[in-house]
Amino acid sequence: MHTAKQGFRAILLRHETILLFVVLLEWLYFNSVGPRFGSVDNTFDIMRHSVEIGLLALVMTPIILTGGIDLSVGSLLGLCAISFGKFWRDAGMPIPLAAACTIGIGALAGGLNATLITWLRLPPLIVTLGTFSLFRGLAEAITRGADTFTNFPASFLFLGQERWLGIPAQASSFILVSIGIWLLVHRTTFGRSFRAIGFAPEGTRYAGISVERRLAMAYVLAGIIAAVAAIIYTSRLGQAKADAGMGYELFAITAVVLGGTSIFGGIGTVHGTLLGVAAIAVLNNGLVHARQSREVAGMLTGLLLILALTSSIIPKMLASLKTRRQTLATKPIIT
Amino acid sequence: MKTLLQLSAVTKSFGAVRALKGVSFDLHAGEVHALLGENGAGKSTLIKVITGAHQLDGGSIEINGERVARLTPASAHQLGIACIYQQPALFPDLTVAENIGLRLEPMSALRKVNWVTRRQRAKELLKRIGAEILPDAEVRSLSMPEQQLVEIACALGAGARIVIMDEPTASLTHKEQHLLFAVVKDLRASGVGVVYISHRLEEIFQLADRVTVLRDGQSVGTNKVSEINESGMIKLMVGREVSTIYPPSESETGNVVLSLKKLGCASCGVKNISLDVRAGEIVGMAGLVGAGRTELARVLFGIMPADSGEILLNGQLITISTPKEAVAHGIAYVPEDRRRHGVILEMPIAHNMTMAIHDRVFPGAWLRCGAEKQIALDLIRDLAVKAYGPEAPGGSLSGGNQQKVSLARWLATKPKLLILDEPTQGVDVGAKSEIHKIIRRLAKEGLAVLMISSDLPEVLGMSDRIAVMRGGTITAMLPAKTDAHEVMAVALGQTENGAAK
Repeated sequence: MHTAKQGFRAILLRHETILLFVVLLEWLYFNSVGPRFGSVDNTFDIMRHSVEIGLLALVMTPIILTGGIDLSVGSLLGLCAISFGKFWRDAGMPIPLAAACTIGIGALAGGLNATLITWLRLPPLIVTLGTFSLFRGLAEAITRGADTFTNFPASFLFLGQERWLGIPAQASSFILVSIGIWLLVHRTTFGRSFRAIGFAPEGTRYAGISVERRLAMAYVLAGIIAAVAAIIYTSRLGQAKADAGMGYELFAITAVVLGGTSIFGGIGTVHGTLLGVAAIAVLNNGLVHARQSREVAGMLTGLLLILALTSSIIPKMLASLKTRRQTLATKPIIT
Repeated sequence: MKTLLQLSAVTKSFGAVRALKGVSFDLHAGEVHALLGENGAGKSTLIKVITGAHQLDGGSIEINGERVARLTPASAHQLGIACIYQQPALFPDLTVAENIGLRLEPMSALRKVNWVTRRQRAKELLKRIGAEILPDAEVRSLSMPEQQLVEIACALGAGARIVIMDEPTASLTHKEQHLLFAVVKDLRASGVGVVYISHRLEEIFQLADRVTVLRDGQSVGTNKVSEINESGMIKLMVGREVSTIYPPSESETGNVVLSLKKLGCASCGVKNISLDVRAGEIVGMAGLVGAGRTELARVLFGIMPADSGEILLNGQLITISTPKEAVAHGIAYVPEDRRRHGVILEMPIAHNMTMAIHDRVFPGAWLRCGAEKQIALDLIRDLAVKAYGPEAPGGSLSGGNQQKVSLARWLATKPKLLILDEPTQGVDVGAKSEIHKIIRRLAKEGLAVLMISSDLPEVLGMSDRIAVMRGGTITAMLPAKTDAHEVMAVALGQTENGAAK
């Protein structure tokens, strides 16, 4: 009985559980403040708006688990959106072919990151900081900063704006990718290797695991999913512009870290990331319903992140303080 | 004789674990007092109590005859206590003088650094211990023993009267050891008290005046070194008589498993290596640190691929350019640095044990936790790994048990050739003899074993043949029954014969 009780406490104190309560609290609060917040329409709105950042956060999780980071995913989303528009409007490709080619572009871009990181052994932060500018610059060069792509066929806009099986159409692809990434990280040797690399890259190499190939996999996957996110983004807004996905990389990283993944690698879960995405999405949407400005949303997201990071440290600090007080109480100081 | 340090009935618990159960220990001025004990006996805890890192639960500490109620790292420093760890804690990017300055100069935010006196002080301190190190050298460029000497210089500069040395010779070569011993003897002559911790018994006989043995958190005896012999010490440590330290060789050698022909790797300084290792044979590799032994192992494991010569495995010419290929060929490598390369400390030991057999245990890359747990349980039982279960993180195990996990990972691959690099470094006596028995058993089962070791008695006791390396190549192959002096003489080279003991 004792151990069962302890196990329950451990689950209760787990980062993901605390975060789940945070999301529920947010929901209850905004539901009491904004009259329309809890409606089905608004719930679907939250889903639609969080799918792209959610996808980026999902593929950011394995990367951060390896101890790396990818700052280029937001820019790549922009480049892919533009490429998609070009393929469809200017090259006259049908939508499915244009989408496939866009995903190819995403894979190539991810491959570039992977090559620079594994072959030249450059730090991921620097490499993707470079490609962050490069991809956005390319998108702006292609459109000369002015060209936008609109008037997509209704059959394509369905993906981003209509419902399928009762839920927003893009939510189904998000669920599919979530399951895929969850299985990859938690149920395959690839996920195991990502963690091992995050803890000890050299140690993983000495175990006969090809660290380069695993890293390449994580970054190429990020490129592919960024392209998917670009297509969904274009469909949701009905237009593709060079500034698509600006700043999304930071939202994605925030969601991953908020979800309990250690920025140093090794520790983290995909369900944590999903809760992180939910916490940010509900907060941002709820503040609109509470008639607060966008700046407040930014501030509160930052506060939430800092609180989440300290919440795991505070219980430990309290515990050590307690033992210290005990030793002081029992030991008289003689000098 | 003046007593510098007196610990009486010291107790210390961590939660339910009683690490120290009433340890008494004293240190006189001008003596070297060795502290011996298996891993987990309480040595580290005792050191941390003396350096103020841990607060004791019961008992008392007297320093220079005065009782100290609450010892903190800062007050320990002021009272003249210094500790030199196995891994020197210096800033690698700063120079020697800067490192010494940071330790010894008063700290304040707005202080002008006087570079002349800083360098001068560093130079004097280094001269006092007879170290030929330039004050302007970057610490990164120094060898491990040189870094230890810098630590000792810091301790001297701080006016330390009580110097604790925690396994200072673990990574030193024979020659460097002699240099360190000379420094320790100088310290003793100048009235400093030295607490000396080492797993190598012969060092204790060479250096120490008294020896205290710890076992299960208790001091089981303090003896004058002149009044106790080696087997007496081991008996005190393990609480039982250890009859033969090295199990006898009983395997028959079979076919040549590994054959190297003029193998070389220019970038890592290994050249012209020709060597045969047979099934069931243990070939020991002796030599000084830097002779190229670990580099040879890395070449064979594909970490630094060879650029000349041939590798034949069971008569087949093979190339090895990555560790993955080496594993596929049936080559296993238990690395020297187990904490960085051998075991992933944060991961459960079950995950550690299956890391090299992912393809075999997890078809299609899907994890099978049940199968993994069974493999881990079998290996834990087979190698008698002491851990609370397969899910225990590697870092929670003692050094000897971590080494067994590292070994288990490679046994799981069912290799043809097993390369062991310092298999018992930093491992206590009990675990050491268990590891030796395991190696013997593996050889008997027909495995070809290449064992690199700087522990000369180990090389002599375990090997069927001994390859001695010097300057990146094998300079001699010696038979099993060779005496230590001959191996050392070859390792040091003819010209330095006089320097060898």
